Amino acid sequence: MGQTILTVSELKTFYRTRLKENVHAVDGVSFTLEEGKILGIAGESGCGKSTLALSVMGFYFPPLNFKSGSIVIDGIDIMKLSREDLRTKVLGEEIAYIPQSAMNALNPTKRVGKFIEDILREHRPGLSQEQMQRLAAERFEILNLPTRALTAYPNELSGGMKQRVVIATSTILNPKVLIADEPTSALDVSSQKIAIKLLKSLLAKGFVKSMLFITHELPLLKHVADDVMIMYAGQIVERGRIDEVIFKPMHPYAQALMGSIIVPESDIRGHRLSSIPGAPPNLKNEMKGCRFADRCIHTVDECRKEEIPERARGERTIRCLFDFDYQSEETAHERR
Amino acid sequence: MNSYLKYFLKKFGWYLLTLVVAITLNFFLPRMIKGNPVSVIVSAMSQGMSDVNAQKKLYESYMHQFGLDKPLFQQYLIYFQNILHGDFGVSFGNYPRRVSNILASAIPWTLGLQIPAILIGWLLGNLLGAFTAYKKGVFDKIIFPAALFVNSMPFFALSIIMLYVFGLHLKWFPIGGGYGYQMIPNLSLSFIGSVLQHHFLPFISIVLVAIGGQAIGMRSMSIYELNSDYVLYAKLMGIRDSRVVRYVFRNAVLPQVTGLALSIGTMISGALITEIVFNYPGIGTWLFTAIRTLDFPLISGCTLMITLAVLAANFTIEIIYGLIDPRVKATQMEGQ
Amino acid sequence: MNGDSSIVLEGRKLNRQFGFGRNRFFAVSDVDFVFRSGEIISIVGESGSGKTTLAKMIMGLLKPTSGEVMFRENPRSLRTKADREEYWKSVQGIFQDPFSSFNQFSKIQTLLLDCINLLKLKLSEEEKMNMMREACGFVNLEFDELYNKYPFELSGGQMQRLMIARIFILKPKVLIADEPTSMIDACSRATILDMFLKLRKQNDMIIVFITHDLGLAYYVSDTIYIMEHGKIVERGNAATILESPVHSYTKRLLADVPKLKEAWDLG
Repeated sequence: MGQTILTVSELKTFYRTRLKENVHAVDGVSFTLEEGKILGIAGESGCGKSTLALSVMGFYFPPLNFKSGSIVIDGIDIMKLSREDLRTKVLGEEIAYIPQSAMNALNPTKRVGKFIEDILREHRPGLSQEQMQRLAAERFEILNLPTRALTAYPNELSGGMKQRVVIATSTILNPKVLIADEPTSALDVSSQKIAIKLLKSLLAKGFVKSMLFITHELPLLKHVADDVMIMYAGQIVERGRIDEVIFKPMHPYAQALMGSIIVPESDIRGHRLSSIPGAPPNLKNEMKGCRFADRCIHTVDECRKEEIPERARGERTIRCLFDFDYQSEETAHERR
Repeated sequence: MNSYLKYFLKKFGWYLLTLVVAITLNFFLPRMIKGNPVSVIVSAMSQGMSDVNAQKKLYESYMHQFGLDKPLFQQYLIYFQNILHGDFGVSFGNYPRRVSNILASAIPWTLGLQIPAILIGWLLGNLLGAFTAYKKGVFDKIIFPAALFVNSMPFFALSIIMLYVFGLHLKWFPIGGGYGYQMIPNLSLSFIGSVLQHHFLPFISIVLVAIGGQAIGMRSMSIYELNSDYVLYAKLMGIRDSRVVRYVFRNAVLPQVTGLALSIGTMISGALITEIVFNYPGIGTWLFTAIRTLDFPLISGCTLMITLAVLAANFTIEIIYGLIDPRVKATQMEGQ
Repeated sequence: MNGDSSIVLEGRKLNRQFGFGRNRFFAVSDVDFVFRSGEIISIVGESGSGKTTLAKMIMGLLKPTSGEVMFRENPRSLRTKADREEYWKSVQGIFQDPFSSFNQFSKIQTLLLDCINLLKLKLSEEEKMNMMREACGFVNLEFDELYNKYPFELSGGQMQRLMIARIFILKPKVLIADEPTSMIDACSRATILDMFLKLRKQNDMIIVFITHDLGLAYYVSDTIYIMEHGKIVERGNAATILESPVHSYTKRLLADVPKLKEAWDLG
C-alpha cells in the first residue's frame, strides 16, 4: 500500500440556509487516501457527496460551515492553518478541485491563459509573465491539449475542451490531492472518455498523487476508481474495493443502488430494476439511528435507537447492524 | 475585410438610417400641433395696428420668410437640404435669431450639465451597487432601499424637492438660471463661481436619480456573478478575494454598459426636465419655450440635437461593448 | 413486437433547417420513421444530434421545413385550432424538467382538472374527483394530500409522477418522453419506468423516449433509432442494435459508454 496522503477524520460540515436552518450535509465522514489511488464517492443527488468534496478543500465560505473534524494532508492539519496560509499554501498547491459544472467554471471574459497566470501569480510570485506562459504552454503540450486554447476565451472552446482545460488548470501546481466533482456528467460519452483518460494520465505522469472522484454514475466509477465509498444522507454507508461493492454490495442502500444500474449490456434487458420507495431524509433534522431506516425493508426497532457505527466486514466497512448478503441476480431479478 | 470593421460599418449604416427617419419625424411631428405660429407673431406685432391690409401683408411676408407658404412636403425637402449644410432655419419666436445660433449657445450648458452628471451617476451607482452586493449586511439593508426610493421618483419631483429645500427654504443655492442675472459671461473667477453655484442643484438631482437606477441594477448583477461557478473555482484555486472581486465587477458591469445604452434616452429626457425646473439655459429649457410658442424650427432643432446625442451615445456604447466583451464579439463575428 | 400492429405515426423525409444563407444547417435531415401501436421506441443521440428538434416536430410544436408526418395514415394537419387540439389529444409529451411544464401558480387539483377538461367529456364533479384519485393512485401519489398543494411544494420525483398521472387521464395514442428520468434518482427511476410500461400495456400507447442514454434505451424499448448530426444512422430491434451494431457511429457510441462487465477501452 502506498503512503497515506490525505486523512479525513470525523468531518462534520453544514449549510446555513437563508431561513437560518442548518443542513447537516456532511455528518461524520472519515477516510484516508493513499498515493497513486483513486477513491470514488458515489451516491444520489442530495446525499452530500458534492458538499463533502467542497468540505475536504478546507476553505469554507457561506453558506457552507465547518463544524468539527480534521483534514490532514501530508501531516498538516489544514483546519488549523490561518485562512491566508490555507489559501496560499494549500489551495491548488496541495489540494485542487475540479468543479461539478466545469462548463461555467471559467470566467467568460478572461482568456484561459490569463486565468492560469493569475493562479501562478498567487502561488509562484517569483515567476515572470513569460515564465508563467511557458509553464502553462508546456503543461498543455504534455497533456496533448492545443496551446491555442490558452489564448482563447472559454466560449470559444467546445464543452469537452473546456472540461479538459479546467482539468489542466486545476493541476497546474501539481497538487497532491485532486478532487473531481462529477467532472464528466455534463459531457457526451465520447468527450467523457477523453476527459477520463486525461485524469488518469495526470496520475500516471505524477502531476497529481491521488484523486477523489465524485459521481453518481457507478458504471463509470467502476472503470475509474480503485476503492469506493457509498454515501447516503451525509454519511458513508459502505466502503471497499470498487468491484466488490458494485457486484456484491452489503449495505441495504448500496444493494438497492447497485440494483438500479442500467447499462447497455445484454443481461440488463428483462432484469427487474430495484427501486426503493420514499425519499432520503431531510438533513435539517437531527437524526438518531440509521439514516436509511425509513426506506429499508429490513428495519427493526434497534436501527432507530442510536447512531449506527461503521464496522468492518471482511475487507469492507459498512454502517449497518446486520449482515445482509446481496442475492445473486437469478433470485433477485425476476424475468420480465 | 476585417470582420469587426464589417460589423462596425453595418451598425453605422443602421444608425444612419435611424437618423434619417428621426429627422423626418422631427420635421413632421411638431408641425402637426394645431395652431399657426405666424398668427401668434403677427398678432403680437400688430397690436394697435388698425390697417387690415398692412396686417395681411405682414402676415404674408412672414409666411414667405419662413417658407410656410410652400406645400409641406416641399418645405420638408428644403429643410432636409438645409440641415445637410448645418442650417436649421430661423427661429419663429426669436426672429431674426437663427436656430443654429440658439443651439450653439444652449448646447454647452446642456453638455456641461448632463455628461458629467450621467457619467458620475453611472459610475457611483455601479460602485455602490457592487459594494452593497459584496458587503451585504447593514450596507445592503440601508443603501438598497434608499436607492430604490430615489430611483422610483420621477426626475422632476426630485428636482422640485431639491429646489424647494436647498434653493427656496435653506437658500444655499440659487433657484434657477445658469449664472447670476446681473453678470455678463466672461472668464473671471466670480463668473465661474456663479456658474458652479447654479450648476450644483440640477447636477445633484440628475446624479442622484442615476445613482439609484444604476446601483439597483449593479447590485443584482453582482450578486448573480458572485454566486457563479467561476467565482467558486477561482477562490478554490487560491486566488485572492480582491482579484476575484475584480473578475466579478468586470462581468457585472458589462450588462450595465448596455443598460446605460438602453437608458440613456430616458436619462437625457429626464435631465432635460431637470433643466426646465431649474430654468437652466440648455436645450431642455429652449425646447420648452419653443413648444409654447409653436416655434417649429427651434423645436425641430432641439429634438434633432437630442436625437443625435442619444444615437451617438448608443452607437459609441455598442462599439465599445463589442470590443470589451468576448461573448458579444463572438456572436457579432458569427453574424457576419 | 408483432409487425402487423397498426401504424399510428409515420414520418416521411422530415427536414428541419435553421438559419439562412451561409449559416444554414439542418438540425434534422431526411428522417423517416414508423411508429406502430403499442411500440416503445427510443431515439438516441448525443447533444446536437437533432433528437429534441425531431421530438418537437413529432409533437407538432415545430414545423418541418419539408417532409410529412402521417397520422393514422393521413397527412397530419395542424392548420386550425381544432386540428391541433385533436392532434394533441392523441400525441402528448413529458419533459426533462417537470416543473417547467406546469403553471407554478395553479394548485395540483387545478392542473389535473384542466387536464380532465381537455377530454371534453360531460362529467359530474364526483366523477372528476374519482378520475383524479384514480390517476394519482396509478402513480402512487396520495391525491388527498396533494390536491391543495402547489407544484413547488412537490419533489422532482413527485412532479414527474404527476406528469404521468396527467398522461393516465389523457390516454394519448402517442407519448413523447424527452429524457423523463434524467432528473430522477436512480433508486426511483425503476418505479417511473414501470409506470410507463404499465401505461403502454393498458392503452396500447406508443412511447417514444428521447434520450442520450443507450442503457435506458436498451432497457425499455422495442426499437432504437440512433441519431447523429440530424440523420438516423441506424435503426432496428433494440437487442439487435446492441449485439450487432452496423453503423460505425453506433459502434463508437456503444464502445464509449462505460459498462459493468465489459472492459472500457481507455487505451
